[in-house]
Amino acid sequence: MNSASNIYWLILPLVVAISLVYTASRYESWPVIWARSTRLCLWILAALIGTTAVLLLVNTQS
Amino acid sequence: MTDTSIPLREPAKAAFLAWLIPGLGHFYQGRTGKGWLYATCILGLYAVGFYLGSGKNVYWRWVSPFNTDRFMLHYVGQFFVGLPALPALIQATIEHFRPGSNFLGGFMAEPPANVLNGLLLRGKPYEIGLIYTTVAGLLNVLAIYDAYEGPAYGRGDEPEADAKDAEGANTVVTAGGAA
Repeated sequence: MNSASNIYWLILPLVVAISLVYTASRYESWPVIWARSTRLCLWILAALIGTTAVLLLVNTQS
Repeated sequence: MTDTSIPLREPAKAAFLAWLIPGLGHFYQGRTGKGWLYATCILGLYAVGFYLGSGKNVYWRWVSPFNTDRFMLHYVGQFFVGLPALPALIQATIEHFRPGSNFLGGFMAEPPANVLNGLLLRGKPYEIGLIYTTVAGLLNVLAIYDAYEGPAYGRGDEPEADAKDAEGANTVVTAGGAA
C-alpha cells in the first residue's frame, strides 16, 4: 500500500464522527444512539465504497 | 422539538457554551455523556485537521463575500468550533486595522502566498485538513442545536409512544379499508 492510498483511511474517522454527532443530535437514549450511528456509518461507508467501485469500473485512465 | 424529560438548563446559555467549546453546553446541562461525545468527535476532528494542515488552514481575511476569489468560505464553517478557531478572527481584525503587527507570532494569521503554495504542492493532507476542520465546525452546529432545543426526535426509546403510533396507524388502515 503506497502513501497515496493511505489517505483513504482518513475518511474513516470523518465518517464515524459525522455518524455519532448526527445521531446524538437526534436522540438522547444511548442504545438508540449507538445502534443508529452504527447503521448510518455503515450506510455512508457503503455509499462511498460503491461510488468508488463504479468510478474504478468506468475509469479509462491507467 | 423540546422533550420536557430532558434537562435543558438555560438553553440560550447552554447553546453559547456549546459554541464556545464543543460539549461544554452539554456539561453545563448535566448531559455529560453527550458532552464527552461532542467534545471528542468535534475537537478531535478539528485537532487532526489543524495538524494535517500544518496549522495554516484556519485563517480569516476581511473581504466582501461577493469577492469569491478571496472570501474564506471554509472559515464560515470553522468559526462554529468556537474558541479554538477564534484566534483567526482576532488575527484578521488586528491585521485589518494594524497591518504587519505580527500578533501572537502570526498564530492563525493568513499565511503568505508562497507558504500556501508550498502546502498545496505538498499534496492532499492540507486539503483533507481543511475538510476536517470545516466539517468539525458544521457538526458543532448540530451540537449547538441539541443544547438549545434538545434532541430533534426526542429520547428515541419511548416504547409506549411507539406502540400508540403503531396502533394509530393500524386504526387508520382499518378505517380506510372499512370505508
